[in-house]
Amino acid sequence: MLISRQWIESLMSPAGGETMSDEAFGDAVTSLGLEVEGVTRFGDDLRTVVVAEVRGIEPHPNADKLRLVDVFDGERTIKVVCGAPNVPESGGKIAFARLGSVLPGGFEIGAREIRGVHSEGMICAEEELGIGPDGDGIMVLPSDWQPGTPLPEAVPGIADTIFELGITPNRPDALGHVGVAADLAVKLGRSLQPPDASLADVPAAEGLVSLEAPQRCGRYIGRTFEGAQVGDSPLWMRVRLHRLGLRPINNVVDVTNYVLMLWGQPLHAFDRAKLSEGRVVVRLAADGEPMTTLDGAELKLAASDLVIADAQRPQALAGVMGGQDSGVEAGATTLLLETAWFEPGFVRASARRHGLNTDSSYRFERGVDFGARLQGACATAEQLLCTLAGARVTGGVEVGGQVPPTPTITLREARVLALLGMAIPRAEIHRVLTGLEISLEPAGEAAWRCIPPTHRPDLTCEEDLIEELLRHYGLDRLPSTPSLPSEPPGMRVDPGQRAADATARLEDAVLDAMRAENLQEVLAFAFTDPADLEPFGVPADRTVKVTNPLRMQTSVMRTHMMPGLLRAGSVNVARHARAVRLCEVGRIYDWPEASQTFDGATAEVDALLPRERRRAAFFLCAGSREAAAYSGSSAATIAASVLSRLGARAAIRPARPAASWLHPGVQARVEVDGVAVGEVGEVHPDLMAQFDFPEGVRGYYGELWLESLRADHVARHQALPRFPSTSRDLSLEIPIRTPASAVTDALARAEAKAEHAQDGPRLAQGDTAGGAIEIVEDYRGAGVPEGHRALLLRLHYRAPGRSVTDDEVQALHGAVVQAAVAALCADVPSIRVR
Amino acid sequence: MLRRVSDDVTEALRAEQQRFEAALAEVNDADALYELQVQFIGKKGSVSKLRGRMGKLAPEERKAFGMAFNEVKKAIEASLEGKHRAIKTLQREADLGRFEDLTMADTMSPVGSIHPVTRTRRQLSRVFRKLGFDVVDGPHVEHELYNFDKLNIPADHPARDMQDTFFVNGPAGETDSNLVLRTHTSPVQIRTMLGRKPPIRIVAMGTVFRKDDDPTHSPMFHQIEGLCVDEHVTMADLKTTLYRFVGAFFETDLKVRLRPSFFPFVEPGAEFDMECPFCPKDDAGAKLPDCGVCKGSQWVELGGAGMVHPKVLQACDIDPQEHSGWAFGFGIDRMAMLLHEITKLGLLFDGDARFLEQFPC
Ligand SMILES: [Zn+2]
Repeated sequence: MLISRQWIESLMSPAGGETMSDEAFGDAVTSLGLEVEGVTRFGDDLRTVVVAEVRGIEPHPNADKLRLVDVFDGERTIKVVCGAPNVPESGGKIAFARLGSVLPGGFEIGAREIRGVHSEGMICAEEELGIGPDGDGIMVLPSDWQPGTPLPEAVPGIADTIFELGITPNRPDALGHVGVAADLAVKLGRSLQPPDASLADVPAAEGLVSLEAPQRCGRYIGRTFEGAQVGDSPLWMRVRLHRLGLRPINNVVDVTNYVLMLWGQPLHAFDRAKLSEGRVVVRLAADGEPMTTLDGAELKLAASDLVIADAQRPQALAGVMGGQDSGVEAGATTLLLETAWFEPGFVRASARRHGLNTDSSYRFERGVDFGARLQGACATAEQLLCTLAGARVTGGVEVGGQVPPTPTITLREARVLALLGMAIPRAEIHRVLTGLEISLEPAGEAAWRCIPPTHRPDLTCEEDLIEELLRHYGLDRLPSTPSLPSEPPGMRVDPGQRAADATARLEDAVLDAMRAENLQEVLAFAFTDPADLEPFGVPADRTVKVTNPLRMQTSVMRTHMMPGLLRAGSVNVARHARAVRLCEVGRIYDWPEASQTFDGATAEVDALLPRERRRAAFFLCAGSREAAAYSGSSAATIAASVLSRLGARAAIRPARPAASWLHPGVQARVEVDGVAVGEVGEVHPDLMAQFDFPEGVRGYYGELWLESLRADHVARHQALPRFPSTSRDLSLEIPIRTPASAVTDALARAEAKAEHAQDGPRLAQGDTAGGAIEIVEDYRGAGVPEGHRALLLRLHYRAPGRSVTDDEVQALHGAVVQAAVAALCADVPSIRVR
Repeated sequence: MLRRVSDDVTEALRAEQQRFEAALAEVNDADALYELQVQFIGKKGSVSKLRGRMGKLAPEERKAFGMAFNEVKKAIEASLEGKHRAIKTLQREADLGRFEDLTMADTMSPVGSIHPVTRTRRQLSRVFRKLGFDVVDGPHVEHELYNFDKLNIPADHPARDMQDTFFVNGPAGETDSNLVLRTHTSPVQIRTMLGRKPPIRIVAMGTVFRKDDDPTHSPMFHQIEGLCVDEHVTMADLKTTLYRFVGAFFETDLKVRLRPSFFPFVEPGAEFDMECPFCPKDDAGAKLPDCGVCKGSQWVELGGAGMVHPKVLQACDIDPQEHSGWAFGFGIDRMAMLLHEITKLGLLFDGDARFLEQFPC
């Protein structure tokens, strides 16, 4: 909201506060929680614009549309060329910018030749002085103004400082100048000087207002006027509204806007002649009842909309916007002025329902005063309509409905200390609360019974009053005295916290491990385009959808990590030619097939929420078609390395079932101790195309499922082998598509089942770097049948407590190979020992 | 005069020695040298074989031959040893003569990195753990009950407009599911107060969502929120904790300032600023006014804070007359941007490797 420094000052006494700098004034306002978001100083450069008198007009010798005007500026008469059509006759007053004036926008007034005639200075329009909207013609000033008077002196609002305040929703009282001045007066030790709030004594207007929905309208003052002359408002009013960002319309509408800015109270003026039977009914709309608003929108009303109707149809959506039919335009002479209080929640509902956010609804939904300020607003409007529009008050009526109860709050001095950690002197408590119009009477020792004023609906409990005290006493005075936690931190053992800590450590460990693999962490959006998720096989009815997304691309919560990485990868490939190595630790979302069970205090709510699972994912791409630095194995190796840093030994096994988002021939499942914990492989070429990678560029992907992993692995020492290992080689011919892991698994199983002497040799990690079963060579070519390959394997044997003999190793090896090959051949008969 | 047998053998010995010397001259690597050793003085070497003929000598000749044999063998061994040393020396010199241009080493291959927001989260987490806080998080999809209602933000109140909310359909596609993408980390406060008994000292950190997308607002961003509930917890304690946090985080003494403000879940509510740690300084250590962060004001706005509203405590079954609490919160993304001098918010989320690689440590 914009506030005028000058207006605020005029509402406080003693006067003379102008000596305070704008900066100090702004700091004081901010210190009250009314945050200053912008400051603009206006009009200081307009002192050389003065009131001047027209002394004569003659046509321009060389131009039809221009005239030569003799202007008396209080000191001398000057000839000025002017093109405006509305220059007043001799004796009329205009605003004249003297030679050397600099107008807003940096436009400097110099002496000029205009079509061969010398001209010194300029006759000004409001817009040229930055004090009004673009109009037609120059300003014509009242003829009794004294020539030579600087314009900012004649019209006080011209030179002013305008502050933009961010008013939080709890402070409807500060949505008008009176409210800001009242708060500030207490801060500055001055007092509020409110405008005259007395209403004219007029006959009761029986039947003017019927209140049919008293639960929705707490108070309604209707005042009738006759003899109004609708026209322009005086300059001071126009300037004030312009400075506050409002467009002057006509004197009647301007008065309601002026009062809105003064008291924070929205008013509405009806052209009473256009109201059927000249009266209003405050009632609920009929479902589907039509209404056209002031700005021409056709509304279809709902049964819970409150309307101000005449005898026949709605003329205003209560508290939101007036209707087109009864708006005050030129020619209106009889008026009905509405000053009312409407129930905030329903105003908000109506405004939202019809998509109308107006100055009026903004204030009503936050809660305007239903007490003294409401009446003050009515009184100011009435006075101004009489003085500015020449209207006569002819009658009035006030009806009352249901208003919120006024709370009585007990404030204890001890509670102030307990909450703030700081005592506030009793005298100060008294001064601040009474200054804020909170009535208080003693309630026992060091306690008061307080009743807040009706313009502060936010004050409902003791803490609210303590905040008022703190705001005015000053947050800077809070001492640095920490209260110690009653138990030393770290002594509590909360099982939930243990789990949370373990999860956090796991995420940290996985991320650090991925970084060690030279992957770069990205943060992708948790929501994405539904089309991106189609390949990942989560049925649409199990995806978590955003009801009101910004756009399609953010309309569904991701069910897989790959799209985010592909999106980022694609952006990188488009921007530069480097290798792309990205990773992310994040969540995926879905509605689980079976309902989940929860325990603990939040179980009931948790059962209503979708499932969120944590994933660590990575993506590799060489960046161009030529570079083939990566393969599916690169992804598998990274997954295994990351797991090894968690203390887990990865096994890469055939994916079953195959993932449709990965290349059908280049993918695998990642297992730890026989349990699937992730997947790796080449990104399906169709997906690469879908994400706009250049043709032929390959991407590789891997992910680990954090719910299946454990942080905090504690390694257990095992005794070092004291005797050398012995190895035996085995060459097997297998089909190309038979995974090597099938062979090694079969050998390991056969060895586990074989007969062993108590202290005899076992298949074991050898003295080389490989495992117990090493793959030494993967040979394809001459000597191997079509579609097959020869795997050369090396099996290491060792006995824990002694050296082994060749014979016993040979016996075990022979048995293992025989059993393993027999098992393999049951599935794939073409496997044979070479 | 008869030639004695011993003369013949001794001659053969000398001949072998000469042959050896000639061959040795041709040798220049360790393998050839070993071969030579085997050829002459190995078990079946030509010199060793001559020793076998000693048995055919007259006893009186044996001694002289024996001496000659040993003399020759020693000489050969000495030559071998000498040659061995010479070869080693040559090899070492040749090895030291190698040159490799290390200035051409690949120093540009991609290096792993941690996102600046994650880095900042970790730093915050370290500092708050040190100050005695537990670090917690909660679900991203929340119920309005926790995201709004229990935080004293009723359904028909304009305070709900302070945050543009993404709503989430229910499992059957219903749009009135009362589910939202959490607009702040505050529902974690509620979850914690429902699940634990005071004393409570936690920070909640994580991803939050608001329906907002422009150069300075991302629809997804990150927040941290602190909560302390105990007996005798005061606003002065809040201010002191913020002061300690800021000092620990920036490792320098920085003032903290509170300004009154409004957040529905605290009362009294405030915004908190810290003394600007980014101001450039002159040689004497005095702050210079041309600071891009605080614009010379010396203060940087951080976030919101206040005493937990009694209605919030009550909503979590905590008696506000027995326990009091404070809470604070601020944005992690902005903190990360300040710390790393990142100028555009969009850079945090589009995943450009050239941006990411700037944060390798
Ligand atoms: Zn600074």
